[in-house]
Amino acid sequence: MKGLHKIIFPFAPDQSGAVSVLAGLSGIIVIVDAGGCTGNICGFDLPGWVQSDASGKEPWIFSAGLRDMDAIFGRDRALIDKLAKVAEHADAPFAALVGTPVPATIGTDFGALKKMAEKRLGIPVLAIDTNGAAWYDKGVEKAYLALLDAFAESDDRTVIDNSVGIFGLTSLDFGNRHAKERLESALKGTGADTVRVYGTPGSLSFFREAGRMEKNLVVSPAGLAPAEYLQKKYGTPYSILPEPFDTTGMEEDAALSGKRILIVHQQVMADARRNRIRRLTDAKADITCATFFSFEKELAEPSDMHLADEDAYLSLVRNGHFDAVLADESLLAAIPFFTGSRIAFPHYAVSGKEETA
Amino acid sequence: MEETKAYSISAGELAASDAIPDAFSTAKQLIYASPATLAFHSPGAQGFGVKRAALVVPGSVMLLVAPACCGRNTRLLSEVKGYENRYFFLLMDESDIVTGRHLKKIPQAVQEILDFLDQKPSVVFLCSTCVDALLGTDWDRVAAKAEEATGVPVRPCTMYALTRQGRKPPMETVRQTIYDLLPKTAKNPRACNILGFFSDIDQESELFSILKSFGLRKIRQVSSCRDYGEFQEMAEANFNLVLNPEAMLAAQDLEERLSIPSIEIRRLYQLDKIHRQYEGLSRVLGASLDDGKYFLAAKSALNAFQKKHRDLHISIGETLNANPFELSLALSRYGFHVEEIFASVTANDLPYIRRLAALSPDTRVYTNLSPTMLFYDCGSARVDLTIGQDAHFYHANTRNVPWNGDLQPFGYAGLAELITQMDRALEERA
Repeated sequence: MKGLHKIIFPFAPDQSGAVSVLAGLSGIIVIVDAGGCTGNICGFDLPGWVQSDASGKEPWIFSAGLRDMDAIFGRDRALIDKLAKVAEHADAPFAALVGTPVPATIGTDFGALKKMAEKRLGIPVLAIDTNGAAWYDKGVEKAYLALLDAFAESDDRTVIDNSVGIFGLTSLDFGNRHAKERLESALKGTGADTVRVYGTPGSLSFFREAGRMEKNLVVSPAGLAPAEYLQKKYGTPYSILPEPFDTTGMEEDAALSGKRILIVHQQVMADARRNRIRRLTDAKADITCATFFSFEKELAEPSDMHLADEDAYLSLVRNGHFDAVLADESLLAAIPFFTGSRIAFPHYAVSGKEETA
Repeated sequence: MEETKAYSISAGELAASDAIPDAFSTAKQLIYASPATLAFHSPGAQGFGVKRAALVVPGSVMLLVAPACCGRNTRLLSEVKGYENRYFFLLMDESDIVTGRHLKKIPQAVQEILDFLDQKPSVVFLCSTCVDALLGTDWDRVAAKAEEATGVPVRPCTMYALTRQGRKPPMETVRQTIYDLLPKTAKNPRACNILGFFSDIDQESELFSILKSFGLRKIRQVSSCRDYGEFQEMAEANFNLVLNPEAMLAAQDLEERLSIPSIEIRRLYQLDKIHRQYEGLSRVLGASLDDGKYFLAAKSALNAFQKKHRDLHISIGETLNANPFELSLALSRYGFHVEEIFASVTANDLPYIRRLAALSPDTRVYTNLSPTMLFYDCGSARVDLTIGQDAHFYHANTRNVPWNGDLQPFGYAGLAELITQMDRALEERA
């Protein structure tokens, strides 16, 4: 039945995606909820290593603490009053209002909230209309675009030589605290002098100088929209991550020659893994990529597919005659009937578990 | 946020104020999501929230009907022994949030769950969240339809964080939902129920021996029922012993529906008050009390600890198996210095606060939820020991007794065990 999950637990929602980008930027983040969403985001979806800035400060995340009467009467002004109280001495570069099912149900006008809050606070306010029903990548995308809208300055367009901007490297896509360093190291090994990962601690200035990058690299589908935005605005070219940037799983990939394979992940990483398997097996593997998350046709091969829900995944594995499935451990656990090779391909947004490798 | 330091008020000032200060009101400020406070944010985040609590009913399963975000952290619960294959999700999409069309799918979803499970569940709980609170969904009707279509008991179970400060907060209604499953049956004068918690009272507690000495032979708590049949036997109780005020609503229902009266007693850490409470209980039940040996055992443990740790400075949080103000009062009465309390204040806490103020007027009371806790400076207070995980967050380098285990301490034995753990924690430091 569509929407019914009997085995696979819900993935990280859009509001967690938005906060995963914003948490490291020293702003005031207000989750417009009754409290439960904040608990889910901070208690589950934000890994322990996410910090507000390079000094290791805790992110400034608050729950609006909405109660039934607030929702029924739409007390927007009361919310802004509470936010203003915090902002008085916070010296924050921005505030962000992150949506949840409550404002989505009562039809909160986030545009109006933004205007009211900016007038009152005198700092940029990002209004991110997430609703808790979409997956994390939608929230990541919305947060990137809101940040670029608010901060990308067009004055200084001097391109920094050999510079690369990274979009899509979030803790929910790459649940490994060393992912950023590994990607930076990989890119510097190929000639990049400056690597700027958007949305990591202390990266607000990167958004300001987004027009100065020589090129951008997209490492998850949520990075596509901001890369396109910058291409349109500044003419910055972008490319998609061609292969995984670390060597984890190389041996397993090389052993997949001649196999029929299913890879389940976010689309960019699934495709990158496919490219690596093909390279290591001299293209002697038949590979299908599938994703529960954003599915961009331009990144897909004909056999690739979007998975609407648990049933779609189980059906694909049952009927796909695969020899191997590469997916997050929790997705592998959902297919006890599958007798082929199971290869762990961790995805924090799915399992909520940190990669330790 | 006028001040750039954490808001706090002394016990003396708090006791003297006409009303609870606004700083303790979540309606007047944003709620800081510090790691210390996460347990409060989500009814399902840590400990026993609604999602875990309802499944205390043996053989039950839960269908969470909500947007994906509401079920995300349930993965943590599913990894706890005994909760495997008991959570199911009907995820609402963006249209459902506005139209409520998801409700029509529920009978079919319940049927698919039944087809999936090897064993028929005793009851299927339909857990709903804020969206349905706002849509005004009639869950009794929805559950009745699903029950009619599938033939298994289906009960609504609301996790409405929006109503947390309302007349019927989620943790009270979930208890109501659980005990509403008890059928009318003949009374057993030698049976009683313990209501209040979702996990067992520590069997080391003298409560059981004392109740047995009063002639009670069947002392039941929902968490220790091995199967649904045993759970339903709770209906034969002669009375309910309510240990947690959050269970009073359920107890009132049971009195009205099944004519089971209730007696309310509290978890306390003041030795004399524990004794007086047992005396009161024995009077109500017309039985004689002999709690001397339990009293003396706890007193002896306390005396030994007092001699060993004469000048002890303590900070107390609220994520613990105690009322933080009663515990602070108890420890102050025992001669220790309660430096800080990190806790929300309600009207029910004021009697403890007033007595605490008389003994320790300078104890600072902070609220975990205040945005000003961003500026908390742990350097301003001498603290040798923290009790509660939240207090430990603020004093990370200080010895800690979490005191928040699932096994529920109670009575003299609870006090003695706390003292044992405090001593152990302090010894580790040395």
